[in-house]
Formats: sequence, structure tokens, C-alpha cells
Amino acid sequence: MISMAASSLEITLVGVSTVFHHRRRGDITAVKNLDLHIHPGEFLTLLGASGCGKTTTLRMIAGFQPPSSGQIRFGGEDVTHLAANQRDIGFVFQNYALFPHLSVFENVAYGLRVKRRSTSDIESSVAQGLRQVGLQGLGDRMISELSGGQQQRVALARAIAIKPRVLLFDEPLSNLDAQLRVQMRGEIARLQKELAITTVYVTHDQEEAMAISDRIAIMNEGQIVQIGKAEELYQRPVSPFVAGFLGNTNMIRGRVVAMQADRATLDIAGYRWTLVTTAPVKIGDMCDAVVRPEALVLTRDGDGLKGVVESRVYLGAKAEYLVRVGDQVFQVVQWNPVAGELFKAGQGVCVTLPAAGVQLLGAHISSDRSLD
Amino acid sequence: MTPGPGMVGGAAAARPRRLMRTAGLSVIWLVLLLFIVYPLLILLSRAFFDGGHLTFDALFATLKSPSSLRALGNSLLLALMVGVVGTLVGLLFAFTVDRARLGSRTARLIDALTFLPLISPPFTTSIAFVFSFGPRGLITHDLLGLKNAQMYGLTSTFAAETLTYFPIAYLALRPMLASISSNFEEASFSLGGSRWHAFRTVTLPLIIPALANAFLLLFGCSLADFATPLILAGSDFSVLPTEAYLQITGMFDLKSGAILSLLLLVPAGLVFYAQERFVAGRSYVTVTGKAATATERNSVSSSARIALLTFCILTVALILYFYALLFYASVVLAFGANYTLTLEHYRVIFTEGLPAIKDTLFVAAVGMPLGGLYGILVGYLVGRTKFVGRRAMELISMLNYALPGTIVGIAYLLAFNDKPLALTGTATILIACYIFRYSPTGIRTTIALLQQIDKILEEDSASLRANSFVTFRRVMLPLILPAFFAGLGVVFIRSMTAISATIFLVSINWSLITVKILENMTEVALGPAAAFSVFVIVVVLVVTGLLNTVLRRMTAPSLRVSRIGT
Ligand SMILES: Nc1ncnc2c1ncn2[C@@H]1O[C@H](COP(=O)(O)OP(=O)(O)O)[C@@H](O)[C@H]1O
Ligand SMILES: [Mg+2]
Repeated sequence: MISMAASSLEITLVGVSTVFHHRRRGDITAVKNLDLHIHPGEFLTLLGASGCGKTTTLRMIAGFQPPSSGQIRFGGEDVTHLAANQRDIGFVFQNYALFPHLSVFENVAYGLRVKRRSTSDIESSVAQGLRQVGLQGLGDRMISELSGGQQQRVALARAIAIKPRVLLFDEPLSNLDAQLRVQMRGEIARLQKELAITTVYVTHDQEEAMAISDRIAIMNEGQIVQIGKAEELYQRPVSPFVAGFLGNTNMIRGRVVAMQADRATLDIAGYRWTLVTTAPVKIGDMCDAVVRPEALVLTRDGDGLKGVVESRVYLGAKAEYLVRVGDQVFQVVQWNPVAGELFKAGQGVCVTLPAAGVQLLGAHISSDRSLD
Repeated sequence: MTPGPGMVGGAAAARPRRLMRTAGLSVIWLVLLLFIVYPLLILLSRAFFDGGHLTFDALFATLKSPSSLRALGNSLLLALMVGVVGTLVGLLFAFTVDRARLGSRTARLIDALTFLPLISPPFTTSIAFVFSFGPRGLITHDLLGLKNAQMYGLTSTFAAETLTYFPIAYLALRPMLASISSNFEEASFSLGGSRWHAFRTVTLPLIIPALANAFLLLFGCSLADFATPLILAGSDFSVLPTEAYLQITGMFDLKSGAILSLLLLVPAGLVFYAQERFVAGRSYVTVTGKAATATERNSVSSSARIALLTFCILTVALILYFYALLFYASVVLAFGANYTLTLEHYRVIFTEGLPAIKDTLFVAAVGMPLGGLYGILVGYLVGRTKFVGRRAMELISMLNYALPGTIVGIAYLLAFNDKPLALTGTATILIACYIFRYSPTGIRTTIALLQQIDKILEEDSASLRANSFVTFRRVMLPLILPAFFAGLGVVFIRSMTAISATIFLVSINWSLITVKILENMTEVALGPAAAFSVFVIVVVLVVTGLLNTVLRRMTAPSLRVSRIGT
């Protein structure tokens, strides 16, 4: 496959804000002074809870909606006030928005007809588009005769048929069942790499975001709170919000009682926990340690925090525990539980903390955990 | 098998209920047969039986007569024009209100003003047309100085009917447009389409079934319209309803009148067939009752927006102008000649015209509760209970509503003229005519509400389903009352304004305002005609307003029925 990365487009948002005037709710700032730089050919995902401004951001990139302030650039070109039909984008809607009065073929051909391509050109382009999404031979069907997954593919084929400079997706998989979602996201990722079109993808599903993105931008209340590769976000969240949003996590609170070169020792309810860290903490600071459930190890007895199993959910490949330690409750995941020991509710256990790979968040960052 | 102890009480309670139901059913069937089936059978027999033999001679004679054929052709031409243009105007209104980013106040104002022609007497626009464009019209005579302007004929009938009926298309199309997701247009934009291209290739095709439906509705309205052509068509442009009226009242030829009125059934039947065949179930758009998305639409450019808005404002201004003219004509001494302000015409209608006012109010007031009750009863029986002939009852109860008023009027005239049921000349025949012609709205509303109630009860706890008096009073009654009031409202409004059927049924003893207005118009007593019209409009507005207020007070928001009179 020929890579077109060289011709891919870079997208830049500079200080973009959107204010909606709502009759009852007053002014709503859906997007607040947002800066975003999307690399050429990159697959960037906007991830966040419902109402955080993802769709609004995407719609501004598409040109469906002008920003209240700020600038949007495609490459060097300022497109802030360019209408959507001049921007050369492919948009895949949450509800697909396929034209129900047109056949599959005509849906995919729609953009090409707008561009007044020749009949033969249209036929070959549509055929190619349908092949790319695995729908060859279904051109004559009406939209209502397709399954949800097939409709999703038509929407994709329609968006890429015009060979857009930018591909935009707004929660495209949310209407599919779980199995199909996993399959489709793989195909979207494959196709995107094949076409090397700069892509912005919106979802509230963190697993989906991690599975397909080059980079993820986590949004909250109209702003990007952290942007980076999935592993960066997962391992080094900058805030409890990000930590809680991307996967389950424990926030283990303790006071720094000792510091060596690249190590810190925390006091957690009397227990001393030494771990490798580069976080700029001082002795006496209160810290939150971001410890993922799978990083905690349960043993019958040993060196660690003493606790009591509150509940257990056995899921075959793993077992999930809630363990009470003092006044905190930890989530613990035990992979391949048959290899170790299954603990019962009420049983006393020892929680072993990891010595490295832990993100320490300073106490000055608010410990808002309402969103996990 | 012996019933368990628990069943004994239930069976004992069920017996009186079953008895009541049987009694109710019998009564309903009786009145349906008497006031719907019987008159229509009489009409048919009068048209097609001669001396006890089935014969189509009279039909062929009518079909061979050039004047009847001309009337049929004119009716079709007029209905076609009104259907096409009215649908177009309705579409422009719907599109403007839904897509042109109007303020909510502007939208509501347009709503209110387009609502006016729907609740006015059917010939309000026609009368105002005469005031504006007639021989002594404000524009033709006073402004342009034309002597004896010729305004009667196809053009003015068509214009008046279009202005009267386009709101029906608007009401049918607007929710359709509103429930099309803005994503469709945006998809078109994203693929490079312009706004016009999106409209042409996406929005328009999506609402074609709704457009067809609106067209058929208007076609049917124009076909059945009697009052407008009577006032505006003139002698050279006869249509079927006026021709039938003329045959009966002018020539006393009941047979020809009956056959002419039945000719109306041909296009009406075609319309019905077309509706079932081509429109029903074809829709891509489902109306959910709420607007599709919160996102602001970007469907029209600012210049198109201004053009659309201008068109709507001009049309609305025209409606307003006509109503203002009507009011003005009612307070000047002699419209077109002497513009001295006076209340003389109101004095006339409240003295010489008082019997008609009293009669109309009496008929409306008696018909209203009876019609409301009848609507709920039939709606309940059809929607809630199972019995042999349920579907037949539903269809028959709709007949007088679906048929053109001219047919119903002539059928009543023929059926109740002689013994055993000599009702001609009584108030009973007028009241019965209105009840059976205009209660179907109440029936429909009741059935629809019952379906919703079923849904609610299914969703709610089983305890609500317990068949107790408390459930009925606390749940069913508040839910079904709106249907009752909606039914009341429609019967009242129509009793005040309708004419096409009852024009055949009035007598020296019992007259109606609408008939008086027509008489006034033919006698060129324009002032009293205008005063009567204003009076009717005011009464209808007040009663509609009151009923709507009551309705709003009583109705759970999820069950809100459409406004009365629409
Ligand atoms: N057209 C609109 N009018 C008013 N408020 C809006 C509109 N669109 C979005 N909003 C508001 O802006 C905020 C962000 O919305 P959105 O971008 O759709 O969030 P997300 O896609 O992340 O769920 C929400 O509070 C939403 O209610
Ligand atoms: Mg969204």
C-alpha cells in the first residue's frame, strides 16, 4: 500500500472557545480556550465524559459550527471561517446519517457526484470504497436493508470516497454491539493507517480510545486536561481525574517521610512504602500514589499493608477484589487466579505495593475523584 | 369446573359491567345506523333506484350533461391547483419556521396567525376577498378606481382557498421537517454539497411522502369546499358542491343533486386510494414529537433566509389584512361607499339576527357535550374492548367525517324529510349532523390516548392496573378528559362555522349564523355579513382559548394532545 503520509494534513486549534446561548441554561461555554495540535496522518482521539465538549470541538474542525473565538488551521491555511463544504473533510456521524432514500451505491457516490466526477470515475471510486470496507457487491441495496454494522461501513465508505484531507468520527461505534465494536474499531484503525489521513475521533469509551489511537486527548469541561500516547496517560496521569478516567485506579494517600536520589518513602497508616519516583516531592508532603489494581498483589501474609477482603468477583481470567485497609478500600485485580490463591470475603490478607512504575501526584492537586 | 371462591365475586361484578357494555354497544350501533348508514343508503337509493329498479340512467344523463361535466372538471382543476400551490406555501412556511433561525417569538406569531384561517368560518377569506377585490373593493374600487371589477371565477376562488387551507399543509409538514436530523444536511455539506444541493437532494426527497400527504389533504379540502366557490366562483365557474346545491334549492331536482354530490366521491375515492397506496407507510421520517437535535441548523444562507422570511411575512400580512378588512367592514356604514364609523351592523345582528345567533349557540351548546361524550364512548369501545364488528364500527363512525359535507347534507335532507323520521326543520337534525360529522376527532384522540395509557400502565407498577375505582378516578379520568375536551372543542367550533352540510338542513324555525352570512352576501348586505363573521371568530377564539387553558391545566405533559381546532 502506498503511504500518503507526505501529503497528510496537520490540524491546529489555537485558543478555540465556543459559547452557546441557551434559553434556559444561559450561556454555556462548551469549549474553553482550547489549543490542539494534530500531526499529519495522526489518529487522535478526543476522550471524555458526556457533555465535556468533544462533539463541539469536532464540529468546529468540520466547519459545521464556527468557534466563538480562536483559530483553526489546516496546514498553513486558516479555515476558521471556511464553510464545511469547502474544507474537504469526511465525517462519520454517530447515527451514520446515511441517506435513506438512496441506495448504498448512491450514498457512497454522493460526494463524487457533487464534485461532478465522470460516471466511470464514480463507478470505480465507489467500487473501491465498498471494497475497502468489505461491502463489495452490496451497492444496489437500500440502507434499510443493511445491518447496523453494514450501515457503519457504508458511512465510512461514503466519507473516504471523496479522498478527504481530514477524517472525523463522532462516536461512530456507539450504536453497535460489543463484539462488532471491537471488530469495527480494528478496521477503522487499519483503514486509517492505510490511507494515512489525519483523523480526529471522538469517544467516551476509554478502551476504544486506547485500542485505536496514536494519541489521546482527555477532555474535561471544555478543556484538554492531558494529551499523549495511551501508555503515557495510563502510566503517568497528571491528575487524579485523568488517572480515574483512564482505567480503574487506586489513589493511595500518604505522607513523604524520607527522600533518596530517585526514591521516596511514604507513610501509609504506619506502613513505610519505598518506591522509585522522579516526582518533585518534599519530605512532609501529602501525596496520592496512582496504583493500578493489577499492580497490587495479594498474599496471605507477608510484607505489606494488612487488610480484609470485602468482596470478590471471579471472572475466570481474573478475579477482582475490594480490600479494606484502614479507612481506605483498594481495588485489586488478580490475573490468572488459578495460579495463585483465591481469597474469600472476610479473609485477612496482605497487600503488597509495587516498588516502581507508580505516579505520585502532589497534594496541591485537588483529590477530586468524583469522576472515576 | 366450579369457579374458585375468588372468582365468584369477580363474576358477580363482571355481570353488570357486561350488561352495561352490551347496552352501550346497542345504543351506539343504533345511532350509527340511524344517522350515518341509513341516510347514505337513502341517498344511494334515490340516485340509483327508480320505481324499485336499479338504474344508472340518471347517472348517465348527468354525465352527459355538459354543465355537470364542466362542474366536475372545474372541481378537479381547482382542487389540483389548491393542492399544489397550498402544499408549496405550506412547505415554505414550515421550512422558514423550522430552518430559518427565527426567534421563538416570531415562530409563535406565525403559528398563531396561520391558525386563524383554520378556526374561522370557511368563507371568512372569501368575504374579505370581496371587500378587497370586489366591485366595490378597497383595492379594486377605492385604490385602483376600477369600475365593476370582475373578480369572480377560478382565480379568486383558488387564491382564497389556498390562503384558507395552506395552514393544513404547514401543520402537516413542520413536524416532519423538525424531526429530520440536522446530521443529514451536515453529511451533505461534509461531502461538498451546498445548502441548496442539500435541500434538493436530501431534505426534499425525505419529505416527499409528507408532501404527497399534504397535497392530498388540501385536494380533499378544496374538493369538498362549498362556501368559497359559492361566494367567489361566480356563475361561470361552477363546481360540484355549488352545482348540487343549485340543483336542489334552485331546481328542486333532488335526484340530480344527489348524483352530482356522489360524483364528488370519484376524486375523493381516488385520493383515499392514493393515500393508502402511495403515502401510508412510506415515510423515511418518523415524527417523534421532539426536535431531532439540539444543534443549530445551518440550512439556509442569510439571503435565502431573508427571502423566505419576506415571503412568510407578506403572506401573514395578507391574512392579517383580510381580517382587519373584515373587522373594518363591520364598523363602517357602507363599505365601499360610506366609511363613517358605526355599530349599526352589530345592532342589526343582535336584533334581526338574534334568532340565528341564538339557534347557532343552542345547536353548538347542545352538540358539544353530546359530541364529546359520543366521541369518548365510541373511542373507548373501539380502542379498549373487543367485539364482533369493532372495525366496522370504527369505519362507519368515520364516514360522515370523511365524506364531503354536500353528500352528508343531501343524505340527511333525503332521509329525514318524511316519516318515519321527519326531522327536517328541527334542531335535532342540525345537532345530529354536527355530532356525527365532527366527533371523529374526539374518537381518534380517545383511541390514541388509550394506547398511550396502556403504555404508561405497562411501564408503571402492576398495582395501577388493578381495576378499582381509585385507578379509574386517579389515572384513567385525568388521562381521558383531554380527549373529551378536544372532542368538545372541535364539535363546538364546527357547529359555529360549518356550512356545507347544514345549508341543506336549515329551516324557517332553525337557522344558523353561517347561513345568514351567506344570505347577507347574496343580498349585498356586506356590513351585517362582516359583523356576523367577526362575532363568530371572536366566540370561537374565546371558547378555543378557554378549552385549551383547561386542557393544559389537566394534561400530563407527556400526553398533551394537539391543539383544539387543528
Ligand atoms: N447547540 C447547542 N446549544 C446549547 N448547548 C449545547 C449545544 N451543543 C452542545 N451544547 C452543550 O455544550 C456542552 C458540550 O456538548 P458536546 O460537545 O455535545 O459534548 P460531548 O460531545 O462531549 O458529549 C454540553 O453541556 C451541551 O449541553
Ligand atoms: Mg457527543
